[in-house]
Amino acid sequence: MSHSETAAEKGLASCHLCLKLASRELHHCPRCGSALHLRKEASLQRTLALLITALVLYLPANILPIMITDQLGNSIESTILGGVVLLIQLDSIPIAVVIFIASVMVPLGKMLVMFYLCWSVSHGPPVNRRQRTLLYRITEFIGKWSMLDVFVVAILVALVHLGDLLVIRPGAAALAFAAVVMVTMVAAESFDPRLIWDQMESSNERE
Amino acid sequence: MSENKASVSSGRRLSAVWIIPLLAVAIGAWMVIHTALTEGPTITIGFKTADGIEAGKTKVRILSHQIGLVEEVMLNPDVSGVTATVKLDPEAEPLLREDTRFWVVRARVGAGGISGLGTLLSGAYIEMAPGSAAAERKAFVGLEEPPLTPVDAPGIRLALFSDRAGSIDTGNSVLYRGYKVGRVEAATFDSKRKQARYDIFIDAPFHELVHSGSRFWDISGISVNASAAGIKIKTGSVETLVLGGVSFGTPPGMPEGGPVANQAEFRLFGSYDDILEHPYEYQAYYVVSFSQSLRGLEPGAPVEYRGIQVGRVARILLNELTSQGLKGGNKPIPVLIYLEPGRLHIPDSEDSVVEFQKDIAIGVRQGLRATLQTGNLLTGQKLIGVDYYPDEEPAELGSFEQYVTIPTVETGVELLQTQVSALLKKLNALPLEETVASATKAMTNSDTALVSLKATLASANAMIKGADTVALSGELTATLQKMRFVLDGFSRNADLYKNLNASLRSLDATLSNTKSLTRQLSDKPNSLLLPANNEPDLIPRARQ
Repeated sequence: MSHSETAAEKGLASCHLCLKLASRELHHCPRCGSALHLRKEASLQRTLALLITALVLYLPANILPIMITDQLGNSIESTILGGVVLLIQLDSIPIAVVIFIASVMVPLGKMLVMFYLCWSVSHGPPVNRRQRTLLYRITEFIGKWSMLDVFVVAILVALVHLGDLLVIRPGAAALAFAAVVMVTMVAAESFDPRLIWDQMESSNERE
Repeated sequence: MSENKASVSSGRRLSAVWIIPLLAVAIGAWMVIHTALTEGPTITIGFKTADGIEAGKTKVRILSHQIGLVEEVMLNPDVSGVTATVKLDPEAEPLLREDTRFWVVRARVGAGGISGLGTLLSGAYIEMAPGSAAAERKAFVGLEEPPLTPVDAPGIRLALFSDRAGSIDTGNSVLYRGYKVGRVEAATFDSKRKQARYDIFIDAPFHELVHSGSRFWDISGISVNASAAGIKIKTGSVETLVLGGVSFGTPPGMPEGGPVANQAEFRLFGSYDDILEHPYEYQAYYVVSFSQSLRGLEPGAPVEYRGIQVGRVARILLNELTSQGLKGGNKPIPVLIYLEPGRLHIPDSEDSVVEFQKDIAIGVRQGLRATLQTGNLLTGQKLIGVDYYPDEEPAELGSFEQYVTIPTVETGVELLQTQVSALLKKLNALPLEETVASATKAMTNSDTALVSLKATLASANAMIKGADTVALSGELTATLQKMRFVLDGFSRNADLYKNLNASLRSLDATLSNTKSLTRQLSDKPNSLLLPANNEPDLIPRARQ
């Protein structure tokens, strides 16, 4: 791979807001006045911190009930995994697969991918940069779809309210799960993908 | 290069963003700790069946307020029942005591009413009755039937013991003068005491009616009682007639006792009459022996002093008699009786029993005796009478086994009976058969006599019919005619008669003269010899 000069080497940084290239000496963007950094500030730390937060929240999201159904005074609490198992038992395998992917696989996979990216940019071998970039893009794109579960609960809670006969209430896991999704989204946002290439640049330098 | 290094060092500076995961961890940790701290106790409850109990669904409630959830239902290894593991809220912790009770609330239809209809839709739940005992407990055995009274309900719990299990059952009423004041909570049989046990509960204001002198009796069904006093039929209310019940009160004349503690034990009498007959706690036991028939003398038969009941027959001591050996035969049969000083309005206490026994000892020396008497001629019920017989030989108290005996006499109908039997015996001893035999013989003899009489009569007849007899009658007629002729000579108109009459008349005159002579002679025998000396009669005069 041939080495081409980068803006960073020229002492230029891109404004996060208006993307204007400006000298790093300026500290503030000459166009929009926002703070000027070469890369997102403390990107790895933020991402990691948020990822850990998401991981912590992921536990109650799966353990606690996400939905409570009060049916004739008999309340049934269902967790995410419990719901998936129930759906499989009810032979609704396609829906079970959808919920499993959206509610379990996606958030978990997203967190694992983000952890991998964080690890790879700081300590990992400088290989498969394109793959890693692709992973990041998928993660960023798919992250919001995890909210599906939360939306289902929200709609059911709003719709099913038949007095003493049938009432659906959100469980504590709904809140935790929503938080997981949001925190992972923010984590993905605070990750600076340019770090992946920075690694390449620096390795090129070493070469 | 140097810029690069600076950027690296700034990257390693600890960012404030780490507060977020720390916060998340802190909240998570707090939640875990809080849950752990506020986690309620886990208990196990054994049930006979898991009917209506579902893991994760069946709730545990106090006064219909949820305080726990069944987590798991396990079959006992020996299939004797199921064990439900229940997670309770921390607020239930202080309520788990030795006497805490659990039972499954499901729809029930019974004699006591219909309950738990709400569980038809919502499913069964486990109700908990908090305990108040000091000891804590984590493993419970659930009740099969819901208890009728909450543990902490104001009132008093009592245990009644009865020799016979009546028709009293759980849920039956406890009445005081006909008013419902409580209920029977449990009816069990105490195999150790060999008595039926009834746990009853008396509601709050009425528990003060119970005192140590109270007596409880069964008012179930119809009681038919045939005794020395006659036949009695008694029933309670319709409810107790159908379902059974218990009543209590103070027998007339009994003083009120002290207050009663919870779980106090009482005897349950079979009927109110039983109480009237057994209102006393202390008894003096005696043995009386009779050679007469004891037919009709039953345990419980009255012992009377001049018609006033003073005690009862406990039992007939046949065991003791046979254990002594029947050799020698014709032994009187001992009867154990007890006399109750309380019946004589002496204080019902141990001391008065001792005093009473002394009095009996003195009484026996003065002629106190026991007798067997007939109480009811129709049913043949017997009773034992105690009275003074001053004519009896002086006697002392005896002893039989461990009991003191009162000497007995035979009197009244019984004596009459023995006398009649003695008379019959004598009659029996009479040589009736011989008499009959000799009478038969005599009859045979008279038979022959009759035959000979017949022969005699026949010969007499022949004789009468004979020619001599006919001639005799002709002569007899001639003789009679002659006799009549002779007699005609003596008739009134005949001369002979007239002469005879005149002669008799002159004889009569002669005789009357003789009469005056005779009188003179008798007055004055010497008049025949001396002349008559007639003195003038004395005339009474006045004194001069």
